[in-house]
Amino acid sequence: MSIRAIAATAIVLSVVTVPRLQAQTPAKDSSKGPPTAVMVSGPDVGRRAPAFQLPWANKDGIGPADQPYDLGLDRGKTVVLAFFPRDFTSGCTAEMRTFAEQYDSLFGPEVVVVGISTDSLATHTRFAASLNLPFRLLSDPRQEVARRYAANDRSGYLRRVVYVIGPDGKVRYRNLRFNALDPKHYTDLGAAVRRARTG
Amino acid sequence: MRSWGAAAALFGLLALGPASTAAQESGIALGSRAPAVVVKDLDGTPVDLARYIGTRPVLLEFWATWCEVCQALLPTVRAARQEFGDRVEFFGVNVTVNQTRERVRKYVAAEQPPFRTLYDEDGASTRAYAAPTTSYIVIIDRKGKVAYTGTGASQDLASALRAVTAP
Repeated sequence: MSIRAIAATAIVLSVVTVPRLQAQTPAKDSSKGPPTAVMVSGPDVGRRAPAFQLPWANKDGIGPADQPYDLGLDRGKTVVLAFFPRDFTSGCTAEMRTFAEQYDSLFGPEVVVVGISTDSLATHTRFAASLNLPFRLLSDPRQEVARRYAANDRSGYLRRVVYVIGPDGKVRYRNLRFNALDPKHYTDLGAAVRRARTG
Repeated sequence: MRSWGAAAALFGLLALGPASTAAQESGIALGSRAPAVVVKDLDGTPVDLARYIGTRPVLLEFWATWCEVCQALLPTVRAARQEFGDRVEFFGVNVTVNQTRERVRKYVAAEQPPFRTLYDEDGASTRAYAAPTTSYIVIIDRKGKVAYTGTGASQDLASALRAVTAP
């Protein structure tokens, strides 16, 4: 094997190996839940949030197919990504209802909030209308985006995971075990959003 | 027509209720020691569950005024209290998310739920019991071990309570 071939092999190995090591590093999580059997990664605080586009719906209907939600277009704003298991379930209803009813105190007017689950856009519209949600719900049926944010699950439903992304496109806060019934998690989320908004 | 719609919505809610639990959040493990947390009641008086756990069976329901499933479960809990109330301590832990003390007081006055209402303002018991959703019921045997957990509007509480009250 030539020196050039050995060097090329080394470069390939380093590129392949580093992300794997990062993925196996236990994530720093803001919550204090019991250890999970699921290996999680996703972008940690300080890392750039992976770009994505997903179709969306809100309480008024389904968004245009040629105008999906694009995280990249919200650069310069604080964005909250709320992955959740399933429309109309009681935990998700509790979470989304709380987001809606406490929108001003939790988020504020310049913050972009999107909920993400595997549900269809039609179901999202009904769910958003039933709770009068003032934000969009995105559909990720194949968990492609969820996988990049460590919110995917073999059950077919997403895990309840929340990220706050700053105007610079970097993750400012994340909770990989957000509990829809824990008031402290909402308090922590609201504080993280305020920090992100004020730089 | 409207009532059919409401019935369909409730059916959907009941049918789908446990799905989120299955997805991620499963609650406290059966057989584990029940955490003896201190939770305040609606008047702000601390209630130390250690006074009850390990001395007699205890039923905890995690609930909220906005929880339709809890509302649907209420007759079952009422019947359970009727049959086992002399041998089992019944507590309803209000999860306080999107609640106010005043709203809970009004609900309790109107509905007279069959348990002593606790107001888990800082979420201590929600975390301790890993409550995945409202309508989550935990039954603790007289040795202080978790004997039953369940969610949803249709739960066989009588069987679980019969087991923990058997001589």
